[in-house]
Amino acid sequence: MADALARSLRSPRVLIALGMLLCIGFCAVFAGLIAPHDPGDQNLLSILTPPAWVDGGDRNYLLGTDSLGRDVLSRLIYGARTAMLVALFASFGAMVIGTVLAHIAGYFGGAVDWLIGRAVDVWMSFPPVILSLILMVGLGTGLSKVILAIVLVDWTRFCRVLRSEVLIVTRHDYVAAARLLGFTHRQTIVREVFPATAPLLITLVSLEMAIAVIVEAILSFVGLGVGADQPAWGQMIADARQYVYQSPWNLLLPILAIFITVTAFNLLGDGLRRTLDVRLAETGR
Amino acid sequence: MALALQAKNLTVSARIDGALVPAVRALSFDLEPGRILGLVGESGAGKSMVGRAIAQLLPAGFSITSGALLFEGEDVAGMPPRRRRALLGRAIAFIPQAPMTSLNPVLTVGAQFDEHLARFGAASRRARRDRAVAMLTAAKLPHAAGLLGQYPHQLSGGMCQRVLIALAFSTDPRLVVADEPTTALDVTTHPPILTLIADMQRQHGTAVIFITHDLRLAAQLCDQVTVMYAGRAVESGPARAVLATPAHPYTRCLQLANPSLRAERRALYVMPEQMPSLRQLRDLVGCHFAPRCPLVTDECRRGEPPDIAVATGHRAACIRTAATAGIAAAVRDDVAVRAGEQPLLQVVGLQKIYTVGAGPFGGGRAVAAVKRASFSIAENEFVALVGESGSGKSTIAKLLVGIEQPTAGRIVFAGEDLAATRNRAQRAASVQMVFQDPQSALNPRRRVASIVTQIMEAGSRHADWDQRLARTKDLLAEVGLSADFATRLPGQLSGGQRQRINIARALCALPRLLVADEIVSGLDVSIQAQLLNLLARLRAELDFAMLFISHDLSVVRHLCSRVLVMYDGEIVEQGPVAAVFDNPQHPHTRALISSVPPDEPQAPWAALKA
Ligand SMILES: Nc1ncnc2c1ncn2[C@@H]1O[C@H](COP(=O)(O)OP(=O)(O)OP(=O)(O)O)[C@@H](O)[C@H]1O
Ligand code: SF4
Ligand SMILES: [Mg+2]
Repeated sequence: MADALARSLRSPRVLIALGMLLCIGFCAVFAGLIAPHDPGDQNLLSILTPPAWVDGGDRNYLLGTDSLGRDVLSRLIYGARTAMLVALFASFGAMVIGTVLAHIAGYFGGAVDWLIGRAVDVWMSFPPVILSLILMVGLGTGLSKVILAIVLVDWTRFCRVLRSEVLIVTRHDYVAAARLLGFTHRQTIVREVFPATAPLLITLVSLEMAIAVIVEAILSFVGLGVGADQPAWGQMIADARQYVYQSPWNLLLPILAIFITVTAFNLLGDGLRRTLDVRLAETGR
Repeated sequence: MALALQAKNLTVSARIDGALVPAVRALSFDLEPGRILGLVGESGAGKSMVGRAIAQLLPAGFSITSGALLFEGEDVAGMPPRRRRALLGRAIAFIPQAPMTSLNPVLTVGAQFDEHLARFGAASRRARRDRAVAMLTAAKLPHAAGLLGQYPHQLSGGMCQRVLIALAFSTDPRLVVADEPTTALDVTTHPPILTLIADMQRQHGTAVIFITHDLRLAAQLCDQVTVMYAGRAVESGPARAVLATPAHPYTRCLQLANPSLRAERRALYVMPEQMPSLRQLRDLVGCHFAPRCPLVTDECRRGEPPDIAVATGHRAACIRTAATAGIAAAVRDDVAVRAGEQPLLQVVGLQKIYTVGAGPFGGGRAVAAVKRASFSIAENEFVALVGESGSGKSTIAKLLVGIEQPTAGRIVFAGEDLAATRNRAQRAASVQMVFQDPQSALNPRRRVASIVTQIMEAGSRHADWDQRLARTKDLLAEVGLSADFATRLPGQLSGGQRQRINIARALCALPRLLVADEIVSGLDVSIQAQLLNLLARLRAELDFAMLFISHDLSVVRHLCSRVLVMYDGEIVEQGPVAAVFDNPQHPHTRALISSVPPDEPQAPWAALKA
């Protein structure tokens, strides 16, 4: 596993993706230090100014201002913080629930497997975006609510994919051998089965982060997201929509931010999938 | 008359790290129409490469780099693709190794026949159907007409192979390539399948290339044999002569490494190490067999030995052919081990019923994998369990070690009912299992040291790493591996080495009973001999009893003192090995015994009907 991770760090996909994510992550962590303005500060005297390099731009507002005269750059930077927080916590939460249930279902099989499988089926029969909207209406807005909604919707994604992987791994004789050597079920799952599913898990997590970023943007766009007081890319798109003719930049910039972030996560997932696939890498002498 | 197939200095090479390494080197043979040529060798010898070269289906990176393969005088590699397509499948047919996966699972047998015959120009649907029925009947398949409507998964492996044989011969081919056609099948189906191939071959006057790892079988079936080692034909000649008086040390060693079912029990010849891989081959100078050869001299390492005629039509690539007959196995030294008097394991009325196709709320159909089984194993005794596929052997193994729970019956181990044993650690320390497939049985992420001492981290035990390394060292020495294997991953081991690790892990806590399910089946004869000797030595050193599950009666007779014969979930016969094999009572035992070809190439094999 350690070897595989080291190997993946030599993959150009992974390196490029990590570079991009490091930049976005830096913005998220040090938003307070690098943002030129407070994202909530309104300057009603200069609203909808274009970026500085365009005619009529203001050096003070590098990427221009929005309809309330707030600095777009600062809002983008703080929006990265929101997006990254959601991506991290939501995918981690979904992963924990999905992984635990997948291992229980795939390892023990039988009635437990049936029960978990049906739960996943029922859950997945709702379109995910609709389900998260319904949840948000019920839960109310706020960062933790968005995270909770994504976790509640997306654990099924992990559960379904991992369960079939667990089934394959469990069929290996070394899992039966571990039991014969006196391993408890928990030891067997943790020490024999999980290390084999972990590479897939890591891949899934990075893909899930991309999904979480999109879902957060959608929720914020319709106003059921992190709340008006917190800058979010989806919210910026929603605001800019009405003034798209006066100031197309306000619409394009947050879309670009989402695009870059999602691409980075997908690239990372793809690169990891290629390099961590132990079945491809560990054969051959 | 033109030769059906001729190989002229055929060399097939692989590109490894930029260099060309020959997987088949300068192979020459002549195959006349209506004759059977056997290509014999262990895995990695390059024998399947020949079949693949004929079909022009070489694996990626491999190509014919010199020499030629002539089908009726035409170069197979050089002919236009259109011409080759017209020949392959029609004039040149193939019988595959894995019959179950070689038929299309979504098409009926009839549809596959129809498609095949239509491709090669059989006029009407009616004519194709008649031909199919005629061929299936000739292949001794009952109810041929009804069979046309069935799907492959509704047939047994043996039936699938008969269908494939019928299919291969249906276009009156002039050459048939059969690559290990019985290896994947039950032993009891070997003689009838081979009889069928021989019959078809005779009726159609077809030339056959028969690829096999079994010398005895080749001697019975083939007219000519070519023995291959590391890509080179080391010996070739009339089948019976090659086996009766082998001239190359490898052929002789191979013969001596194989235990006999009928002759006096003798020690097995153990060739050290294993066949060189392509990578190792690149750096080997002189005779490729030299590292394992008992007759090796300095001269052997200087250059490649020439091909020498030892009799008319009988050639061998060795400079010391005169000494070959003198090679003999060491004398058996494990006879001193005696089984104890006390029964260690007693199994009474064991039964296992599986329910298949059941939902979460029950339902499904009951399958009795083990109907009724009673037997006992004494301390330090090696008992064999034999029987055909699906007879319930593995199920018994799983019940003994506790992977499955019995439906009824008792398993008493050292006076204690195992079902009642709640202490899993105690059970683990007294009964262990060696799994069949060493690839699947070893966690690819653990290093060897962590695998063989895995029992020391089970439950609440936490042996420190120094302790585990010390134990690893002892265990590796026991199973004949050097200490530097401790840090390897299973992916870096050969099949035989993996199986040694598998055995070492089972022996770590010195269990008193070992359950071994087909642990030498997938291995080459020379590796099998190494492991059989290892098991015999370990028993003498460590004192343990073993239930040895196998389908190979010769191996069983060599290693075990008592045998249980299983048929359809029941133990139909049991007793001392000598008594059961010399005087079998149950018809199934007789069928098992007669499916093993005789040691002497001249002796008739009754099961192979003329
Ligand atoms: N888990 C299971 N569920 C349902 N049926 C099973 C199960 N395991 C085995 N069987 C059935 O029980 C019978 C005996 O199987 P078993 O594996 O013991 O045979 P075997 O003698 O070991 O065969 P082989 O030589 O092919 O290994 C077969 O008919 C098999 O299909
Ligand atoms: S040439 Fe030498 S090493 Fe090779 S097989 Fe003959 S005796 Fe053995
Ligand atoms: Mg079995």
